[in-house]
Amino acid sequence: MRMEELDELQASALREIVNIGVGNAVTSLSKMIGKQIKIEVPELKIEKIEKVPEIAGGADTVVSGVIMHVDGDINGYIMMLLSQETAEAICSTISGEEHTDIFTEMNQSLIEEVGHILAGSYVSSLSEFLGLNLKISPPMQTFDMLGAIMDHILIEMSRDVESTLLFDTFFTLEGNRMEGILLTLFDPVSMDKILNKVAEMV
Amino acid sequence: MIIVGMADSAVAKKPVKITTLGLGSCVGVAMYDKRSCIGGMVHIMLPSVENARSKDNLAKFADTGIHYLLDCMLAEGATKSAIKAKIAGGARMFSFSSSAQLNIGERNVIATKEILKQLRIPVLAEDTGENYGRTIVLDTENGELTVKSALKGEKIY
Repeated sequence: MRMEELDELQASALREIVNIGVGNAVTSLSKMIGKQIKIEVPELKIEKIEKVPEIAGGADTVVSGVIMHVDGDINGYIMMLLSQETAEAICSTISGEEHTDIFTEMNQSLIEEVGHILAGSYVSSLSEFLGLNLKISPPMQTFDMLGAIMDHILIEMSRDVESTLLFDTFFTLEGNRMEGILLTLFDPVSMDKILNKVAEMV
Repeated sequence: MIIVGMADSAVAKKPVKITTLGLGSCVGVAMYDKRSCIGGMVHIMLPSVENARSKDNLAKFADTGIHYLLDCMLAEGATKSAIKAKIAGGARMFSFSSSAQLNIGERNVIATKEILKQLRIPVLAEDTGENYGRTIVLDTENGELTVKSALKGEKIY
């Protein structure tokens, strides 16, 4: 099954499923930090693997990134990418400190855990709607250039396939220009499974 | 400034600069001919085209990518014997306690150096490994390679 074969109804069903998943994830983050978070309607695309860093905001954009591997019935990755300001805001809201150093071990693991919780509620929502068994790996966290953070994943995927099914959702924290991205990548075999499930449903 | 994307390459003449952004486990190879002031850069993802399911993009692999870049530079008028290389990248961004085998960053660096050796292109400078990302800029005025990082400052080779 290919993305283009989905009819309008099925495509919007898939978009809605992702939207609900991201919505649930962001609600859990919002509860943690006690701030409103706005999300944009997720974009679903099939992209060449080499183009992913550009789509996510530019390969040299410095971000705080948390990456998790998704496996079970399908194979892919979930990444939470936050600007330094957003990471600082999240840490200081949770820890109660006014000036936050996101490079302390404490705050690094805090960001890691936030990513894990976000991805966890996202994945369990996807799993429920799609009727697929999905698990996420422990999170890996670092602060660096976006391209560098994700290139080993793209390398891993590019061994077997050329393109990836990509969902990206930008979110912004209340009142600020602080933003982040929740990015999901699935390989074409997984994409087929997802699309078939959606086709059965609608 | 020419931006070389992931699995991409470019050749330029003085005074144009060539850059590639956010190298993690990937390797950036900069080659330069001082006589003609022709420079080239390739952003490779994997050591070898062998076993790859899709072999269309030559710039993706160390073996085909470096040969391809050399051919492009020669076509522009560079002299093979004058070409020297500088390489950067091949980091290990995350450490996994269980992985005893070589990681992909290291394998990319080893393959890159092996190919350059076969082609008898000397490697003048190397900024590889560690656990951080790099952006590199080749200045075709003088062959200088600037390596920038998010937290570890900037170095010029």
